[in-house]
Amino acid sequence: MKKKVWLLLLLCIFPTSLALAARLDIHIQARGFTKLKVAMPYFTGPADLTSGIWSMCAKDLAISGVFEVLSPQSYINPGPVSTIAQGTLKDWALIGADYIITGNVSRRSDMVTLDVQVIEVASAKFIDRKTYSTSAQTIHTAVHAFMDTFLDKSLGLKEMFSSKIIAVRRQNSKKQICSFWCDATGWREIKGLGDLVLNPAWSKDAKKVAFVSYWRDNPDLYLLDLVTNKVELLSGRKGINSTPAFHPSGSMMACTLSINGNPEIYFLDLASKKIQQITRSWATDTSPSFSPDGKYMAFCSDRCGTPQIYLMDLKERKVQRLTFEGRYNTEPVFSPRGDMIAFSHSANGIHQIALILTDGSQMTVLPGTGKGDESPTFSPDGRLIAFASSDGNIYVTDLVGSKPVRITNGEGVYSEPSWSLITK
Amino acid sequence: MMKLTKGIILLVVISMMFFLAGCAKRGVAPVEEVTPPAQPTQEEATMPEAEMPKMEEEVAVEPMLTTSSLEEEMATFEQNMIFFEFDKFSLNPEARKTLAEQASFLNSNPEIKLRIEGYCDERGTLEYNLALGERRAKSAQEYLVFLGINPDRISIISYGEERPMDPNHNEDAWAKNRRAQFDILGK
Repeated sequence: MKKKVWLLLLLCIFPTSLALAARLDIHIQARGFTKLKVAMPYFTGPADLTSGIWSMCAKDLAISGVFEVLSPQSYINPGPVSTIAQGTLKDWALIGADYIITGNVSRRSDMVTLDVQVIEVASAKFIDRKTYSTSAQTIHTAVHAFMDTFLDKSLGLKEMFSSKIIAVRRQNSKKQICSFWCDATGWREIKGLGDLVLNPAWSKDAKKVAFVSYWRDNPDLYLLDLVTNKVELLSGRKGINSTPAFHPSGSMMACTLSINGNPEIYFLDLASKKIQQITRSWATDTSPSFSPDGKYMAFCSDRCGTPQIYLMDLKERKVQRLTFEGRYNTEPVFSPRGDMIAFSHSANGIHQIALILTDGSQMTVLPGTGKGDESPTFSPDGRLIAFASSDGNIYVTDLVGSKPVRITNGEGVYSEPSWSLITK
Repeated sequence: MMKLTKGIILLVVISMMFFLAGCAKRGVAPVEEVTPPAQPTQEEATMPEAEMPKMEEEVAVEPMLTTSSLEEEMATFEQNMIFFEFDKFSLNPEARKTLAEQASFLNSNPEIKLRIEGYCDERGTLEYNLALGERRAKSAQEYLVFLGINPDRISIISYGEERPMDPNHNEDAWAKNRRAQFDILGK
C-alpha cells in the first residue's frame, strides 16, 4: 500500500515538472522513476518446462513497465525455490525486493499446472496464491492470467496481457500480417492477400483487422473478419487507399484516399462503403487517428512545408497544428486515455517516438532504441507504447523514458505494430 | 451589400474561367502543333501495317530491324528513372530532361500506355512515404501531360518505401531509392 501511494505521488509530480519546460524539445532520460523490484527464484518442477515458464514471467514483468526482476544470482540461494519461509523475508528485503514470486510447475499427461505465490515484502503478506492448469501449448495464457492479477493486486493497474499486437512482418521479400499476444507469445500469421500487405489496424472490439494490400496491383483497403476469416474489399479506388483507422463507434473508419488527385483523409462508412471527404488541402494529409470519444481526429499533413501533426475538431471541422519542433513529425496515434498523442518525430534524421498533449503543449521525446523508432501504438490502458525499430524488432516502452524492452525475437523484419484493446 | 458581394464573386469566377481557359490553351498549344502531323502518321502507321504481310515476303529483314529498335527504345524508356530530394516531389532540371526524352518517345509511339511508379527511401515513415511516393509519380505524370502526352495514357502507383532499388542503408542507396520508374503496360 505504501508503494502505491509513492507511485501515485511520482505520477503526480512528473507532469508538473514537465510543465515548467513546456514547448521545449525535452529528451527524457530515465528521470528518477525507480521500478518496483521483484525477486523471482527459478521455479521448481520439470526442468524442460520451468525455464521456459520462468523466462516468460520475467519477460512479462519487464514489459509491464513497472517491475524489474532482480537477477537470481543476487539471491542467497540462487537455485529453484517453491515457497518462502516467513523467517527469511529479511534476507529478501536486504537485496531490495519489494515482491517475491515463487512458482512450482507440474505435469500430468498433456496438462501443465502452475502454482504461484506472491509475497509483498513490506507487509509480509501473500497478495496472490493461485493454481493455473492448462495444456502445454497454451501455458502462456496461464502466465498472462497470473501477470494481469499481479498488476492489479500490487499496483491496482489494469490488465494488459490479454491484449494482442498485429504487425507487418517481412520475410523473403514478402510482407504479411502476424498477430501475437503483447509479449510475442502465441505468434501466428493472419490471413492477408498477396505478398505486400501494409497498415494493419484493429477494430475496437478486436474482431476485425483492416489493412492495405497490393493484391489487385494497387494499394487497396481490405477488411478481415477474424471470426469468419473472410476478407472484404473496402476501397479499391484509383490512387492510394491507405491508413485505415476505425472510429470508436465501429460503424466507420478514416483513411487516406487520393482519388481526387492528392492524398486526403476521408471517412468510409463500413456498411455502405460510401466516402466523405474530411480534409481539403493542396498537400498530403494522411495517418488519421480518432480520440477515444470520437470527437477529434489527429492526422499528419505537410500543408506548411514539412510533415507535422494536426488535430481536427470533427464537430466544428476546425484544424489546429500541434507540432512545431522538428522537421518531420508523422504517424500520430491517440492515447486510449485521450489525453495525449504519440507520433514519430525526427529532428536530425533519426526517428524517435514523441508525445504531445492534445493542446499542443508538453512535447516530450522518448530516448527509445536510438536506432530509429517508428509507428507508435498505445497499450490498452495507455501506460505503454509499442513501436517498430529500424533493427526490425518491436519494442515496448513506458512514457517516462525507460529503456525499451524488445518483444520480438529478430526472426523476420517487423513494422507497423498495432496494439488491440483487451480481447476478452 | 449582398448584390455587391455577388457581383464580386461573379467577377472573380469569370476572371478565373478566363485564367483557366488561358491555362488550358497554353497547355494545349504544343499539342495542336503536334496533332496535325501526328494524325497522318497514325494513318501512315496503320496502312503499312496492313500491307505488312506483302512486304515481309519481299524483305524480311526490314521489319525485324524496326521491331528490335523499338524494343531497344522501350527498354531504354523503362530503364530511365528520375530521382528526388529527401521528402520532396519537385522535379529538378535533370528529371525534367529525362521526362522530355520520355515524352518524345511517347509522342512517336502513341499506342504505348505506361504506369509511373513512385518510390521513397527508408528514412521517412511508412504511412507518409506511401503518400509521398504517389506525389512523386504524379509530378512525373503532370510534367508528361504538360509536354503534351494524353493523361489517359498514364496511370500512377505508389510503392512508398517498398521495393528499394538498393537495399543498403546509406546516402548512396537512399538517393537511388527516391525515384520514379516507368513501366510500359501490356508489353
